[in-house]
Amino acid sequence: MSTISDAEVITADERVTPRRLPGVDGVWVAIGADSVIFAILFGSFMQARLHSPAVFEASRDTLNMNLGGVDTLILLTSSWSVALAIQALKRGLVDRVPRYLLGGVLTGLMFMTSKSVEYFEKFAQGIRPATNDFYMWYFTLTGIHLLHVVFGTSLLTYLWVRARRRAYSSSRRVVPECVASYWHLVDLLWIVIFPLLYLQRAV
Amino acid sequence: MSVLRERVTVVWLGLMALTCVTTWGLSKDLFSPAVAVVGIFAIAAVKVSYVMLDFMELRDAPIPVRVAFQAWPVIVAVMILGFWFATSSLA
Amino acid sequence: MAIHAESATPAASDLSPYRTDYTTWKILAWTGPVFLFAVFVLWGIVARNMPPFPASATPEQVKAHFHDFRLPLLIALSICVTMTAFYMSFSVAVARVMERIEGPGGVLSKLEMMGGTITCAPVMVTLAIWLTAAHEVNNLPPGIMHMLYWMGWLLFDLAYFVTSLQIAAISIVFMRDKREKKLVGQFVIWWGWVTFASFFAVSAIPFVTTGPLAFNGVISFWIAFFTWFIWIPSLSYYIIRAVDRIKAEDEAAGRVND
Repeated sequence: MSTISDAEVITADERVTPRRLPGVDGVWVAIGADSVIFAILFGSFMQARLHSPAVFEASRDTLNMNLGGVDTLILLTSSWSVALAIQALKRGLVDRVPRYLLGGVLTGLMFMTSKSVEYFEKFAQGIRPATNDFYMWYFTLTGIHLLHVVFGTSLLTYLWVRARRRAYSSSRRVVPECVASYWHLVDLLWIVIFPLLYLQRAV
Repeated sequence: MSVLRERVTVVWLGLMALTCVTTWGLSKDLFSPAVAVVGIFAIAAVKVSYVMLDFMELRDAPIPVRVAFQAWPVIVAVMILGFWFATSSLA
Repeated sequence: MAIHAESATPAASDLSPYRTDYTTWKILAWTGPVFLFAVFVLWGIVARNMPPFPASATPEQVKAHFHDFRLPLLIALSICVTMTAFYMSFSVAVARVMERIEGPGGVLSKLEMMGGTITCAPVMVTLAIWLTAAHEVNNLPPGIMHMLYWMGWLLFDLAYFVTSLQIAAISIVFMRDKREKKLVGQFVIWWGWVTFASFFAVSAIPFVTTGPLAFNGVISFWIAFFTWFIWIPSLSYYIIRAVDRIKAEDEAAGRVND
């Protein structure tokens, strides 16, 4: 282990490979920037909450926690499916790749459906973004995240179509890796957004 | 490639379980708000970490990048909890 | 400095029978950071736009604000209107670097130059509207002052897509650079896409006066503007250096025309 430098990693089959980022380096600039931007938004939300904790708590109580939790399970499964696609691609198992990507697409669509149901539920209760500060944040944060989901699902669909034509292989996997990395970002953002909006109980 | 034995599958199962714990466990009134909130965001940070390391493959990434990304869940969780406690002390 | 494949076909890309004026080119590239400095210091700080006076302000509050800061507003905004032209000159410098990759007939370098130039229009007009408001504050009722304030923001913000197209053209062309060490670094190319994406949220400003999407809010102001503010000097750094690199490439290929 001491002969391996920081720039290298020992893989599961004990080969030494150089450390690398999946996809192109530039996509990690975008992922990093998006993460920082969302972190700023989370801080901004908490600051708004500091100013009207009672309103935020009362409004939080109206959110559908079960649906939110299910959304998390859906996105985690979606990420898993896409991760499997990349693993299959790395091992040259190109025949398996389309089905794993399709899993990602279908779970992405499920998330979108679930969110739509949730929004319509709110609208039916007469709740709008302008109703109060909490709801403005709720619709804005989940809305921007939803746009990320829509964009990501479109990219996954494109990948699926191309993968069915065997466009990707172990040596041609830069584009799938970029999209997969983006998709995992979408997943991890929800992992924070969900407790931030739905689960965070006031004292 | 047996799907069940892939590392990503094991990680996925763990993440699903942790989600159930926070959504349907810690959020219940059994726990005091402070315990619940700290637990929920600590678990969220752990989940984000695993997504980064094993789904995003940052485990094998150049160390500076890995460190930068892994700092994110920690900073975000600390920031949120900091605000939460500040808000609670006003109540 | 290595000669790359595309230099082997100098006839295909930019080979003008006229002298290339590297000096002027570089000066134009420098006007990018000059523009940013002017806008940041004058409009941002002196004219009190960081953060902007709230979207939720009442007509009376808007009038009071323009009244209280009338002199700094007159100074800062008037100079800023004039200096906005530097964004246009910067765009010309960028376009010529893009042509070295795309070829002189390429559409994206044209789109970039148009995008950068037209961006000046909503900026200048907005600043002039606010300058007018400050100038005339003692003659105008609060309702008109409020209208002028909003007119500026609606124009300034919602014209964003002109700039978006400029940014997209730049990111696309510089991504296609086949040099081993690209003229423009990956960070700037991808930060361009982050900036492009961040602008869309601004479409919400007519519909909200508070919260993150208001024109003074964390998303529509801080994130949308600062992604762009970071992009300008980062890109400028590479463009300024690109002129030198291109000159060296031209000399090495025996293309310096005198």
